[in-house]
Amino acid sequence: LIERRTTMPKYMLLLHGGESPDYSPQEMQRIVEEYIAWARRLRTEGHMLDGDELGEGGKMLRGTGAALTVTDGPFTETKEAIGGYFLIEAADEAQAVEISKECPGLRRGGAVQLRPIVEH
Amino acid sequence: MTQASGTTAYSTPRNTASPEPVEQLVEDLFRREAGRMVSTLTRVFGVEHMDLAEDVVQETLLKALQQWRFKGVPENPSGWLFRVSKNHALDILRRRATLGRKQGEIAHSEERRQAETAEEQFAVSENQIEDDQLRMMFTCCHPALSRESQVSLTLKTLGGLSVPEIARAFLSDERAVAQRLVRAKRTLREQGVEFVVPEGDLFEGRLDAVLQVLYLLFNEGYAVSAGENLIRAELCREAIDLVELLARHPRGDAPRTHALAALMLLQASRLPARVDGHGDLLLLADQDRKLWNRSMIHRGFAHLELAAQGEVVSEYHLEAGIAACHACAPDYESTDWPAVLDAYDSLARLNGSPVIAINRAVAYSRVHGPAAGIGELDKLRGEPRLADYYLLWSSLGALHAEAGNGEQAGAFYHEALKHVGSEPERRFLSRKLKEMEAPTGP
Repeated sequence: LIERRTTMPKYMLLLHGGESPDYSPQEMQRIVEEYIAWARRLRTEGHMLDGDELGEGGKMLRGTGAALTVTDGPFTETKEAIGGYFLIEAADEAQAVEISKECPGLRRGGAVQLRPIVEH
Repeated sequence: MTQASGTTAYSTPRNTASPEPVEQLVEDLFRREAGRMVSTLTRVFGVEHMDLAEDVVQETLLKALQQWRFKGVPENPSGWLFRVSKNHALDILRRRATLGRKQGEIAHSEERRQAETAEEQFAVSENQIEDDQLRMMFTCCHPALSRESQVSLTLKTLGGLSVPEIARAFLSDERAVAQRLVRAKRTLREQGVEFVVPEGDLFEGRLDAVLQVLYLLFNEGYAVSAGENLIRAELCREAIDLVELLARHPRGDAPRTHALAALMLLQASRLPARVDGHGDLLLLADQDRKLWNRSMIHRGFAHLELAAQGEVVSEYHLEAGIAACHACAPDYESTDWPAVLDAYDSLARLNGSPVIAINRAVAYSRVHGPAAGIGELDKLRGEPRLADYYLLWSSLGALHAEAGNGEQAGAFYHEALKHVGSEPERRFLSRKLKEMEAPTGP
């Protein structure tokens, strides 16, 4: 893991919502297939590093010691919630935007939040 | 040794350690697995909780969608889906049992028993899943339900189609379909319908209902599986899946089941040739027969052989026989038209449907010439059920064109256009009309 393949900057794509609980089985399969195709292209072009689903719920911690509070959430509206992320490599932000534009989630009212990983 | 080689397999040198993800999902995987899971879950939960079974399946598929889009598809997608739906169902059953214990009601003993035995109820083999699907087929085609409800419920549960998809397939209103499904499930609940394949004498009659529903499903798909309405090709595939499932099951393995399977496969083998590059319909005479699906034709003939083992000749036998004549003809002209006409004659005796009469007249024209065919069709023109049926008018148009009566042919094509249902059919007729009206060259 110490050995790095490239020195390209990394970007985090956070995927917000856009999926409906009412999809038919056939529609759901089509969406999975779109993601598979998109991810395959990113892998062949050497952009894809990682990706995973983020579960609902979770906790929010604030403060420390006696002042520590642990609350449920953050609760976000389902259509806003972050469903997962992809970690990619791109030459620059412009290219990262180009890659994100093709994310299948955008076709169904979802949003992609693109954040650069800061290298030190 | 095995241990060692197993370890090496995992310690790949690069940091791209994750195995190559599954790149392709099997066609209709989600839809088919939905039908299988709903069937098994309905057995575990009981017919009265079919809604719950459907909810569990929907949640399972959503989970797959959410996870697979980031992580890729697992090695055994069907196994993954089955495991997740099973765990979800077990959770529900345990929760219900706990709730029952807390309330201390005796009525909940059934639920407790269910929860205790649930684990083993899910220990199912491939055969048992098919048993469950068969039970589901007979439940959906229960005589307490109208034919429309039987078809809709079969598509919803076994076919994994959503309400909007069913509505689109049958050109009906989404709300009407949803209500029909709610009513159907309520009827099954109120009548205490059990999740079984009926036994003894009851079976024969119920099998006929199942076959009729599958036949209807297929025809609905086959009628216009071209153009805009792609969902209709799925209806054909689903009907074939179910009829083949029925045919390989010891209980459903009857000659008429095989006849229906043969009929569907031989008909569907032509689907790839039914549209041209522009999505326009092509008649049998104009199809490129090289595009016909050979493997479907082979399967069709295998079923036809098994269909011949009975004493009774059903309508499915006759229709399959006609489809077989087309399937083995190298081109339209060399079709064994006398055999086709023969089969239509027998079919017309069994079934007074005017649609069959039209097809018979067309076969008649192939044997005795277009003028004779026109004579047969003219006899049908007074039939009120056919007044709105565009195929009567377009067939008259085609035969008049063939006989050289251009003017009459045009008039009949115009009449046909008034009754046409789908966009590809409309384009087809417009094209025919244009051909009629274009100068026929020097």
